[in-house]
Amino acid sequence: MLLIPYLIAAYGLLFVKLRWGLRLFGVFIVATIGLLTVMFLVEAYPIIARDGVAVFLEARWDPVRESYGVLQALAGTVLTSAVAMALAMPMALGVAVTINEILPARWRGMFGSLVDLTATMPTVIYGLWGLFVLGPTLQSLINYLPGGMMTSPYTLFTAGVLLAIMITPYAAAVIREGYALVPKPVEEAIYAMGATRFEAVLIKLRYIRNYILGGFFLALGRAMGETVAVAMVVGGNFVRLTTNIFESGITISSLIALQFPNAASYQYMVPALFAGALLLTLFGLAINAVAIYIIQRGQI
Amino acid sequence: MTMAKIELKDLRVSFGASPVITGVNLSIPDRSITALMGPSGSGKSTILRVLNRLIELYPEAKVSGEVYLDGQNIFDMNVLELRRKVQMIFQIPNPIPNLSIFENVALGLKLNRLVRGKKELFERVKSALEKAQLWDEVRNRLNMPAGKLSGGQQQRLCVARALAFEPEVLLADEPTANLDPENTAKVEALFLWLKKEMTIVLVTHYPPQAARVSDYVAFLYKGQIVEWGPTKDIFTKPRHELTEKYVTGRLY
Amino acid sequence: MTAERKVEDVTAVRMVINWLGLGLFALLGVAAVVPLFLIIGDVYIKGIDAINRLGGLWVFLTELPPTPFDERGGVGPMLVGTLYMTALGALLGIAVGFPLGVYIGEMRREKFANVARAGVNVLVEFPTIVVGLFVYAVMSLAKEDLNRYLLYPLSKTLSPVGGWISLFIGPLDGFNAYAGAAALSIIMIPYVALITASAYASIEQPLREAAYAIGGREFNALFVVLRKAVSRAVVTAALLGTAKIAGETAPLLFTAFGNTYYAPFTGPTGAVSLWIWYAAQTPYDVQIASAYGAAAVLLTIILTIFIIARIRS
Repeated sequence: MLLIPYLIAAYGLLFVKLRWGLRLFGVFIVATIGLLTVMFLVEAYPIIARDGVAVFLEARWDPVRESYGVLQALAGTVLTSAVAMALAMPMALGVAVTINEILPARWRGMFGSLVDLTATMPTVIYGLWGLFVLGPTLQSLINYLPGGMMTSPYTLFTAGVLLAIMITPYAAAVIREGYALVPKPVEEAIYAMGATRFEAVLIKLRYIRNYILGGFFLALGRAMGETVAVAMVVGGNFVRLTTNIFESGITISSLIALQFPNAASYQYMVPALFAGALLLTLFGLAINAVAIYIIQRGQI
Repeated sequence: MTMAKIELKDLRVSFGASPVITGVNLSIPDRSITALMGPSGSGKSTILRVLNRLIELYPEAKVSGEVYLDGQNIFDMNVLELRRKVQMIFQIPNPIPNLSIFENVALGLKLNRLVRGKKELFERVKSALEKAQLWDEVRNRLNMPAGKLSGGQQQRLCVARALAFEPEVLLADEPTANLDPENTAKVEALFLWLKKEMTIVLVTHYPPQAARVSDYVAFLYKGQIVEWGPTKDIFTKPRHELTEKYVTGRLY
Repeated sequence: MTAERKVEDVTAVRMVINWLGLGLFALLGVAAVVPLFLIIGDVYIKGIDAINRLGGLWVFLTELPPTPFDERGGVGPMLVGTLYMTALGALLGIAVGFPLGVYIGEMRREKFANVARAGVNVLVEFPTIVVGLFVYAVMSLAKEDLNRYLLYPLSKTLSPVGGWISLFIGPLDGFNAYAGAAALSIIMIPYVALITASAYASIEQPLREAAYAIGGREFNALFVVLRKAVSRAVVTAALLGTAKIAGETAPLLFTAFGNTYYAPFTGPTGAVSLWIWYAAQTPYDVQIASAYGAAAVLLTIILTIFIIARIRS
């Protein structure tokens, strides 16, 4: 309601007193984040008032008895992110090195575009592919290996692998940016000392370790927040806490996506879901903040 | 007749379509300082980068001709072997800033497996830093990141890094161009002392430096060697008009 | 003699490690890109087949989606929804993102600009479902007042224009296309802002000084004279941002909610991405097929925008 006049005023100001107009846009973005946090606190309040922090520390989902806890979702978020990061970081490093050191100059743009396209693909299409291709394939693969056992194609592991494919370009973009910033004189010094190309790569990667860390946190934030693709392949296990990645599970974001349509019929489910959203917001803020801090500290 | 340490035969280098070195023949004697001087753009730094094949970092550069080190064609050698024997110091000091002082000097030794054991490594690093006249200043802070040293100290660190290899040839690309007179004097004195053990090829854009320090000098102009010979002869009795103009400061 | 031989061995070992190590990096790099081809292939193969089975391309793009018992159907309403919400979201995203980017890029020395920049960095890859929930919460709060004080009177004044106006402007339901567009714009704004900021930041000082000298008023300098210098990056950002939000699903879940009929934008609105989300999880073959067809349509839209953006740069 206030928004429309606010934006019109900001735009108008641009033409009259440029700097103040621009500042209003800055205020807008900061206010949005503040408003967001406040709204979630307000919406989650009913269940926090009733159960205290138990909603974050317990694992249950019993709408009939109006008893909710999001610990299983928290565990799921942590586990899927861990699997995703373990697979994505090596691939992201591989992308950066392949583009900068291995590919001939003509192919670099093309390959880089392919990696960027991987980031632009709609997540729901990743979910679709995960549902009908990746899930069953992984199940066959794991069950074929001795000792492996996946009772369903849709598990935390499936979600982790799918996430890895989706978040690699984000980490790769940051690492590529850092790689391009290695000064030519330093590169000359490395080779003048008789390093092989591989040894030079390792030295350069050490030089840009701030960017690698920054890329790590950016990708981690993305992994923790991804909703749709994960929801389609994670298995929808709302009630039981599991730490076996080869079992079905749930993450905070997919919990919200999958349960919200039912939520209106129950009294405390909506607040419980907003409590989960609050948790996710805090994680998202913290991780992004750390990522930016690390990248900027390396720049100065 | 002793074979020259380095022989260049009909060296030609072009970057893309522009020729930079257009047929250079040169003999660089052992255990002496040979200066390459000439105005900007004459190709001095390019020649230097051919000698340790650093030119290969520039894919647009095309090189033809032959270069011999002790009679061996350097393009037939394994480049790692070449760089073990031929080290370089650059115009702008380029230590690896995030590595410590110790690690900067030790890096080349470790990569090329030139030492066995930590004790030998430490001795080599110490001796290199001593020769470069940096040891006393850094002995208590060897683990400090190299990026925190002053410009003059960084350059001496780079010298130490090169000397740690105990190289046969030292290539110096305008090493004192960014240094103050005191540090310049230190580096020049160091070269005069080092030439007893190795061959030094010094690129300089400052003729008085060549006159002070070198035994032989080659004058390079637009990718060609105009004249070369013992320093005294070139400076007192230049045969070519261009040379004379350059050493008297009327050509740049 | 022994020392020389050892040196050669060491070198040989290092060369082997060199090839193995670089090979590993290459393998990992390729592995990152292979799934892209697998997915595009899978979507188009099954999608084109589905479109053919469900009635052909024109039917698919215009008709209502199939119920579990139909044999024909399409994504007509959803396509309209996606196009409308994406266009609105992109418009707002550029309209707010660009000045914001100018602010954090040009007025870097101000303390508040750095706060705003931090805010933008935090929002740029924020979980999109949270954004959707936020707009839902705001919508629930504001709906009553918004309808009573603005939209109801507005729609009455505009009704002489024609009945069709009520498809666009009028009192809003809890779920509507504008909430969806708002959520999409919140996702796009930080993205455009960051790229604009770095485009302005990378203008060299001499050019900037010249622009101020020629331009007179600051407004002129920044937006008219420097336009050429930044326009390439900004337009690319706009295109890529649009492609990004066209494919988003989570932010629409609680804002637009979805609709399988052609309906006013003031009520629940469908989107192609929402349909894929819903239909893929049903047990009915015909609906799963339509999900694949929808995916093929969505992918084509996004690929087109992406290729246009790439060709321009």
